[in-house]
Amino acid sequence: MSSPLPAPLRYLLQALAYAAFAAVVAYFSSSPLYRQLGDHEAVLKLSFSHSGQLKFACRERSAQELAKVEPNMRNKMDCPRERAAVLVELDMDGKPLYRVSTAPLGLRKDGAATVYRRLAIPAGAHQFNARLADGPDGVINYSRSISLDLAPGQVLIIDFLTGSGGFVFTHS
Amino acid sequence: MTTVTRFLRSADELATSTFDRAFEAAHNPWRHLGALAFLCLVLVVLSGIIAYALYDTSVSGAYQSGLRLQNDPSRLGRLLRGLHRYGADACMLLTLLHLVREGLRGHFRGVRWFSWLTGIPLLWLLWIAGITGLWLLWDERAIFSVTATAEWLQALPLGADLLARNFLTADTLNDRFFSLIMFVHIGMPLLLLAAMWVHVLRVSRVRIWPPRSLTRASLGMLALLALLVPVLSLGPADTGHVLQRLSIDWFYQFVHPLVDRLSAQSAWLLAAVLTLTLALLPLLRTREERPRAAARVDPANCNGCSRCVADCPFGAVTMVARTDASRHPAQAQVDSALCAACGICVGACPSATPFRRGEAIVSGIEMPQTPVATLRRELQRKMGALTGAHKIVVFGCRQAADFDVLADAATAVLTLECAAMLPPSFLEYAMRMGASGVLIAGCRESDCEFRLGDRWVKERLLGQREPRLRASAPLDRIEVVWSGRDMLDASAAVTKLRSRVLDLTGPDAHHPERINTK
Repeated sequence: MSSPLPAPLRYLLQALAYAAFAAVVAYFSSSPLYRQLGDHEAVLKLSFSHSGQLKFACRERSAQELAKVEPNMRNKMDCPRERAAVLVELDMDGKPLYRVSTAPLGLRKDGAATVYRRLAIPAGAHQFNARLADGPDGVINYSRSISLDLAPGQVLIIDFLTGSGGFVFTHS
Repeated sequence: MTTVTRFLRSADELATSTFDRAFEAAHNPWRHLGALAFLCLVLVVLSGIIAYALYDTSVSGAYQSGLRLQNDPSRLGRLLRGLHRYGADACMLLTLLHLVREGLRGHFRGVRWFSWLTGIPLLWLLWIAGITGLWLLWDERAIFSVTATAEWLQALPLGADLLARNFLTADTLNDRFFSLIMFVHIGMPLLLLAAMWVHVLRVSRVRIWPPRSLTRASLGMLALLALLVPVLSLGPADTGHVLQRLSIDWFYQFVHPLVDRLSAQSAWLLAAVLTLTLALLPLLRTREERPRAAARVDPANCNGCSRCVADCPFGAVTMVARTDASRHPAQAQVDSALCAACGICVGACPSATPFRRGEAIVSGIEMPQTPVATLRRELQRKMGALTGAHKIVVFGCRQAADFDVLADAATAVLTLECAAMLPPSFLEYAMRMGASGVLIAGCRESDCEFRLGDRWVKERLLGQREPRLRASAPLDRIEVVWSGRDMLDASAAVTKLRSRVLDLTGPDAHHPERINTK
């Protein structure tokens, strides 16, 4: 059976226990530093939400087809809601960097196609070329190039806004 | 028990005994991890209420709010911010330690399954409350964390595909974001408090607060830490630039490096597997585990005194209207789903006395596997088999250790589910049967497997709790040792007791102050 420790020694041990706990809390609340990016790397974020073109053209329903449905449902035109997948290709310095074909959202595939991708790229001068195809034939119908000198840690955002004419490159 | 589990349990015992040396057993922080975590949560909530009053929930004001506190010349802001942040960090650390310790002690099995299972959501709630708090400062750490969390959430098939898009540029964010995060940051701790109430619902006499000495020292430590190592914001959130190396709060933001290392989907899978594993642990059965039947009430012998209700550590016994024609108005009733089969209720029952006449004595409440009659018969048999002088009877707790190794020609060992299962009258009975001394051996002090056993034993022997040891009992011949698995401790206690009874001459003296319950 271990004999009880003298009071001063007990108090000292208690103080050490509290100090050790405090040290663990203080240290891990801010340390060690987390390296999220290499020293000579910049960040590229490709992100957009874009609705592809309708996959099928509207067609006129025949009289037989219309007769099969209730009178209040007899819409002359049949316009399928499904949209085409959106294809995006991104080149950096003439080499493919990222390529993705995104299906539209929604149960009927009639929503927007969304893309979000974060990539670490080497800092420095680069030429970027972004291309997008949103038609059912998959032919590229939007393209834009830009030359940039990215500093380490700098963020380049590539968005796609139809109202702005296509790809938008944003960097601080 | 596997070798790994045995090793980890030994490590826990070592930690417990080491802390016992520095702190008193009852004030050992290792035994109050859950209560200390709760204390930290309360501290965080209280400091958070003040911080909220000083916080500006706007894109332009959020960062300045943090700076104002850290640069407050009176240092009160620094104290407030430090208490809030370090309290939250300590809360997570203590919660994890509490989880590990309870897990090592197998406290996910049996009647404790409910507390175990309801404890798992607490981890998630605490994590959400903590990480959203770090976003409110809107510094470089916050923009990194909020983006990384959004990217992680996007990996789930929830249709939140463009969550991270909200943080692409400064223009995409508005003041509503901070109101929303503040709502979550306040709502989670409220949910946490409610979930904690459920967590301890099936535990009677729950120790929500740590002992005062621990409370004072812990708060003092956190206050000192807040002043000496101030919590500082990083630079303001910048969507156009990323820091290569970043200071993060590893207690809550550990998930971001994990996602970077594993991939978002793998991190979700890992989180799901860990959560599910913890949730399924109560179904785990070891080969050594034997099913224990719940306590059983015998209405004919129950006088409705309700001592079993007062002593049950899990609230498994209640008083109900009588089902027989007895003159006593109530009788005990056991909820077998809540009963841990510890037998503490038997130790509390006034009818569980071996002095009653008749071979087939029945107590008002009994453990089916060890009825009082069997215990008395075993005591008689083992006492009869002793041949040595100065006979000692050891009543050992099964949860603490296998005390049978102490048995010899002059020492009889009887095993109980818990030391507090022993009605005090059995001590006198053993001495009436010819024992020179009686030793009660159990789990380490304040570490009873059934929570309250050591406390009830002490109080009953000191005459502070019913059923009391009679005032005329020869206390010099009684020894109590809370040895846990330490057989050296238990063996030393037998030697000490034998030596004391050897010294005793003449009629037994009554020295209540000499009772040794340590």
